[in-house]
Amino acid sequence: MKLTLTALVLSLSATAAFAEYPEKPVEVVVGYSAGGGTDVMARTVAQFLEQELGDGASVVVKNMPGAGGQIGFTEVAGAKPDGYTLGTFNLPAALALTKDRAADYDVDSFTYLANFVEDPNTITVAASSQFQTLGELIDAAKVDPGAITLGLSSLGGNDHFAANMMQDASGAEFTLVPFKGASNARTAIMGGHVAAGTMTLGQTSNFPDELRVLAVLADERSPFRPDVPTAKELGYDVQMSSLRGIVAPAGMDATTTEQLLSALSAVNENPEFQAMMAEQGNPIAFMVGDDFAATAAKQDRIAAQIWAETPWK
Amino acid sequence: MYSDLLHALPDVFAWTNFAAVVIGVIAGIVVGAMPGLSATMAISVLVPFTFGLEPLVALGLMAGIYNGAMYGGAIPAVLLRIPGTPAAVATTFDGYPMAQKGEGGFALQVAVVSSAFGGIASAFALMLLAPPLSKVTLLFGPSEVFWVAVFGLASIIFLLGGNPVKGLISACFGVFVSVIGSDPIYGNDRFTFGQLEMLDGINIVILLVGLYALPPVIDLLETPLKTDGVSSSKLGTQSLWKALPRMKSFWKTWLRGSFLGIWIGILPGAGGSMAAFMSYNEARRTSKHPEKWGEGEPEGVAAAEVANNADTASALIPALTLGIPGTAVAAVMLGGLLVHGLQPGPMLFRDNPDIVFGFMWQFLFGAILLVLLGGSLATNSFARLLNLPRPLLGSVIIVLMLIGVYSIHGRMFDVYLMLGFGAIGWVMDRLKFPLPPVVLGLILGGFAEENLRLALRIGRGDPMILFQNTTSLILVALTIAVVVGPTLKKRYIDSRKKA
Repeated sequence: MKLTLTALVLSLSATAAFAEYPEKPVEVVVGYSAGGGTDVMARTVAQFLEQELGDGASVVVKNMPGAGGQIGFTEVAGAKPDGYTLGTFNLPAALALTKDRAADYDVDSFTYLANFVEDPNTITVAASSQFQTLGELIDAAKVDPGAITLGLSSLGGNDHFAANMMQDASGAEFTLVPFKGASNARTAIMGGHVAAGTMTLGQTSNFPDELRVLAVLADERSPFRPDVPTAKELGYDVQMSSLRGIVAPAGMDATTTEQLLSALSAVNENPEFQAMMAEQGNPIAFMVGDDFAATAAKQDRIAAQIWAETPWK
Repeated sequence: MYSDLLHALPDVFAWTNFAAVVIGVIAGIVVGAMPGLSATMAISVLVPFTFGLEPLVALGLMAGIYNGAMYGGAIPAVLLRIPGTPAAVATTFDGYPMAQKGEGGFALQVAVVSSAFGGIASAFALMLLAPPLSKVTLLFGPSEVFWVAVFGLASIIFLLGGNPVKGLISACFGVFVSVIGSDPIYGNDRFTFGQLEMLDGINIVILLVGLYALPPVIDLLETPLKTDGVSSSKLGTQSLWKALPRMKSFWKTWLRGSFLGIWIGILPGAGGSMAAFMSYNEARRTSKHPEKWGEGEPEGVAAAEVANNADTASALIPALTLGIPGTAVAAVMLGGLLVHGLQPGPMLFRDNPDIVFGFMWQFLFGAILLVLLGGSLATNSFARLLNLPRPLLGSVIIVLMLIGVYSIHGRMFDVYLMLGFGAIGWVMDRLKFPLPPVVLGLILGGFAEENLRLALRIGRGDPMILFQNTTSLILVALTIAVVVGPTLKKRYIDSRKKA
């Protein structure tokens, strides 16, 4: 009798605990200002996550811009792992910056919940460029090492890593020019101020007549541009991309983690969500839990290796 | 394309969309008029809330705020010598002396009509010339942008008059402030003393509020019993229709200022304050009585205000077509477009013509509405503030400054920084160091450095890259003209006097 009572009380309190989350607003910390690509993704996910958590749950996006996202990532890593502080996570940027400066977090500081977006890097030239294929570009860079300039959105980001890995795979030498942001790099390519760039496919999509994408740095061709070959097909086994997902602080209890994982999976399966993401030009690459953590660990190794071989500052 | 323009018009007149522009203009004027609150901040606060709004409602609000704030900044610039926005610094030169002479009301009317003129010209440029003008932006690579920045700094130091050595020192201080933070290429920390808050550099609003708002407030509080010279009874308000004929002779200044503003707007980075300074310089240079400038010349207000509104819509040309905003405000507006899935680029014009062209119409109507809303709002409500007892007025402004600066990033650190700049500004003011070069030094110093280093990287370290094309060479020639021009002119006049 006593045992059944205890069991009853326990199970009741367990359901009570379960039903309680979220009993207050859940914050999603975005390390960039409102209106950026990551912010828009966070707001879209938040809107659908509210529905999935049910019970009038409220999910609030909190922008903490600064230091290339570091302020936001640090905030999430240091928050209580109670499920009320989540954060957006950008790979490889979030982990790359732990290599080149003192950061208060590392790859193990997070519970990896779900990745939503993966945008592969490319090798892109202006439509008016003399280079028609990746081979031509690389040959030119081999003939006169350093003569071919590559515009990047920054050092220590996916554009930079893509360029570095392309150099390693091809043996060519490029001059890397880190602009402030992808749009500036793209404009410099279109204006002929640099020869080529490694921007992501998403950043080329609104300029079909102005840019020529020579290769996509992915395992498979992109469904958005099936006409563009992968670098792998052309003989250079290089993959690099920009990923955006949702994480929580490390050490979150299993129940809350499970609840969030299933809610985020349900968000991804919602056709309305898929439609909104497509409209924003966000290529979805859903990875959940351990898969996401494994990808983060892999990106961490790549960043560590590039930092060790060719430190960028 | 022009049929798309007409096709977009009916939607603009849907009452919610139109009301958004009206509300935006009013909110913009109020925000612009508060020292410490800027259009950039107002729009970045607004962006998250527009997520659930119809695109044209959201964009209408932003277009209205931008137009309103560029004029609103003139109100405290004229009445208190405190520019409400970075772009209104040049408005203080003649606006405040006018107010002291009892012509504050007329100064505000000149400001509102000039702002509207600039805004309308800019909106037409955006509507009719966006694709060809975006080609101009493409001509400006790192070395060209570097020269634009150098030219801008040279003009402010040598053309603004006064003592060029003091101007140079002020500009150097501004450039030094621009160096604080992580460097633009490698991201190494400079002068941050390990503070994460300083990694992104010093926000222009913090510097502006500290330098420009604190010293006048200290003045207000130093002599609490003195009755104010600029009370609204002495504002000299008359109806706008009576004031308009006095502005007839400004048409050349308006056209020139609009042209300069539009031009500077489409160049990456420089934006409103540089446009206003250049327009002011040019108008004074061609004036028949340049010696009166700085002592309350209405045309000076017209020159500054027409230019800082003329770059509003044109700054959106590179933003919409290339994704690179021409001003800080255009940068946050770009965020507002992204929230609605509107990605910049040529495809934006093809995929969402009704929204893009509707947005352009909203800019035009925002500029027109300025005349109707701006004049009465400024003279009837803000000017009344001057009737407040001086200690009260000073305290109100201090509170606004603190709130404004705190709300940029939500941290006290920025408030302390602002107070530090305020102390520096007060000392500089007493020692008669000009403050405008500091503001432009901070804005342009960063651009000059970043683009110089990018250009040298592209040239693999060879400085000749900076002189390799016509655009660069024209800018170099202009810079030399600005630096040696005044000296040569003075020598010429002196030698004529001797002879």
